[in-house]
Amino acid sequence: MRNKFFHNYIKQFDDMPKAFRKSKYIFVYLMVSLAIVNFVVFYVAVNLNSILLAFQEFIGYDENYVEQYVWSLGNFKSMFKEFALPNSTVGIAVRNTLKYFATNIFLMIPLSYFVSYLLFKQIRGYGVFRVVFFLPSIISAVVYVTVFKNLISTFGPLYMLLDKVFGYQMPPLLGDSRTATPTIIVYTIWTGLGINMILYQGAMKRIPTEVLEACQIDGGNKFHELFYIITPMVWPTVSMTIILAFTGLFNSSGPILLFSEAGTVAGGNDTTTIAFFIFQKTQTGAALEYPAAIGIFFTAVSIPIVIAVRAIFKRLDPEVEY
Amino acid sequence: MSKKKHIGKNTLSVIIFVFFLIYAVSLLYPLVWAFLSSLKTSTEYMLTSKVALPETWEFGNYIKAFKALDIDGNNMFDMLFNSVWFTLGGVFLGMAVSTMVAYVVAKYKFPGGQTIYWIAIVTMMIPIVGAMPAQFKVYTALGIIESPLLLLAFAGGFGFNFMVLYSFFKSLPSSYIEAGFIDGAGHFTCFLKIMLPQAVPVVSALAIVSSINFWNDYTTPLLFLKNFPTLSSGLYMYQIINTRNLDMPVLFAGILMSMVPIVVLFAVFQNSIMDISLSGGLKG
Repeated sequence: MRNKFFHNYIKQFDDMPKAFRKSKYIFVYLMVSLAIVNFVVFYVAVNLNSILLAFQEFIGYDENYVEQYVWSLGNFKSMFKEFALPNSTVGIAVRNTLKYFATNIFLMIPLSYFVSYLLFKQIRGYGVFRVVFFLPSIISAVVYVTVFKNLISTFGPLYMLLDKVFGYQMPPLLGDSRTATPTIIVYTIWTGLGINMILYQGAMKRIPTEVLEACQIDGGNKFHELFYIITPMVWPTVSMTIILAFTGLFNSSGPILLFSEAGTVAGGNDTTTIAFFIFQKTQTGAALEYPAAIGIFFTAVSIPIVIAVRAIFKRLDPEVEY
Repeated sequence: MSKKKHIGKNTLSVIIFVFFLIYAVSLLYPLVWAFLSSLKTSTEYMLTSKVALPETWEFGNYIKAFKALDIDGNNMFDMLFNSVWFTLGGVFLGMAVSTMVAYVVAKYKFPGGQTIYWIAIVTMMIPIVGAMPAQFKVYTALGIIESPLLLLAFAGGFGFNFMVLYSFFKSLPSSYIEAGFIDGAGHFTCFLKIMLPQAVPVVSALAIVSSINFWNDYTTPLLFLKNFPTLSSGLYMYQIINTRNLDMPVLFAGILMSMVPIVVLFAVFQNSIMDISLSGGLKG
């Protein structure tokens, strides 16, 4: 149907006077040229370079002090060697990355879905809540993290509150490697519900009210409404957010860099993730070959995962039209 | 029985309301607390209770911040300037290129058109992990690192913006162009004078969302524009470098001011920001 429509109006275009048909190509290719050049340089060339870097190894300098490289699998070999070691940075990075990912899938997506449903039922003050919950999605993480760090610091407001109410003296959460990552994860949950909430609410709003009324007339309660009516109808949106989460699997991270400062372990080995590790190596001007190899490896691993998840969800998708 | 049920329902909604209220307060209180702290003197912040109201209201901190928050000779005015060109330049280039390519791919049939469409789809599906080392290398080779020319890297036509604009132009009837042709307009004129004006709401909503992203981006400036600290990257670097003698109230004043443009944008365009996050999400 769509294709037919497309061809029909294209035909109309090609019925135009000859002068237009000729100039069409000049116009079209001029319009796409910038995008193509940018794509070739900043996508194709960059990613090809990632692959090239990954298979290079630095072997020393020649007589003119020019850096010498050879093709090798050395970067991948040392990566696997590191995996095998207990408490290696790469191993910790993978573990932490999976923690952030699991938090997103098992906690943030269900939580924001549930909150969206409650907001959709228009509880009092719903308009204000909607805006406030979305606020951390637009305010710079630099602002929120700076304030959050001071909020939970020793003698900060949260410390005082817990001390006064429960007599509990909060330890410096970011100073201990056991609590640093959980603290950052709590931060990402606390500030990260907004975007998905907007998506789910938008999808719920498009459900025709007659359907919900019909459910009520048939004696369905809120439970029926949520699980048998609303969830199947907004499932395409939910599955899209899950697919996006899987697409970003190995990029799952938090604003770790912003949490790092003197006197904390945040930003150190214990809190690192794959994305942060690669960022840090690039930022500190370390050798680029090793982080590039890690990036290439995890990109390669995630492609089949993404394809599989997409295929599974395509099968799960109920065909709803309304 | 039905009355009882009604009461139960009410209690439940009160409980939910209270939970939501606590969450909302927890999101807003940090900003209020930062504002109150920004009005203290440095010693007052260090020595007295952190939750107390300021003894004297030092609004001067907001003026002091512009000079005091200095990183390698860049004070907050310079950071503001860098933020402005980084945001406006990046948004303008990105929007211009993606609007042009989305329009042509949606409205014209030409060899390569379908390929471009598929490139846009596939590149959105492949998750690239850590392209930064290669970016660093390529940008250095091109000589655009540590220079405003870096903005060229953002003149990309694909991704989220492409998908939204593509489906928008697709839904726009071609009869407008036809009418333009009959009146003697060329392809460029049709695009600029007839089609683009109709796309203004979509383009501006996308531009606002992308402005927020550029303004808040700290990783790109930290990696590639170390000599041009923006408000986001500069205020972070300032904290790292001055850990030992940080004037917290002045820093709070600075970071609160850095978010003012975004809050204003959000307040004015709140609905279109939320709507475009929606439509983009659905089609992405």
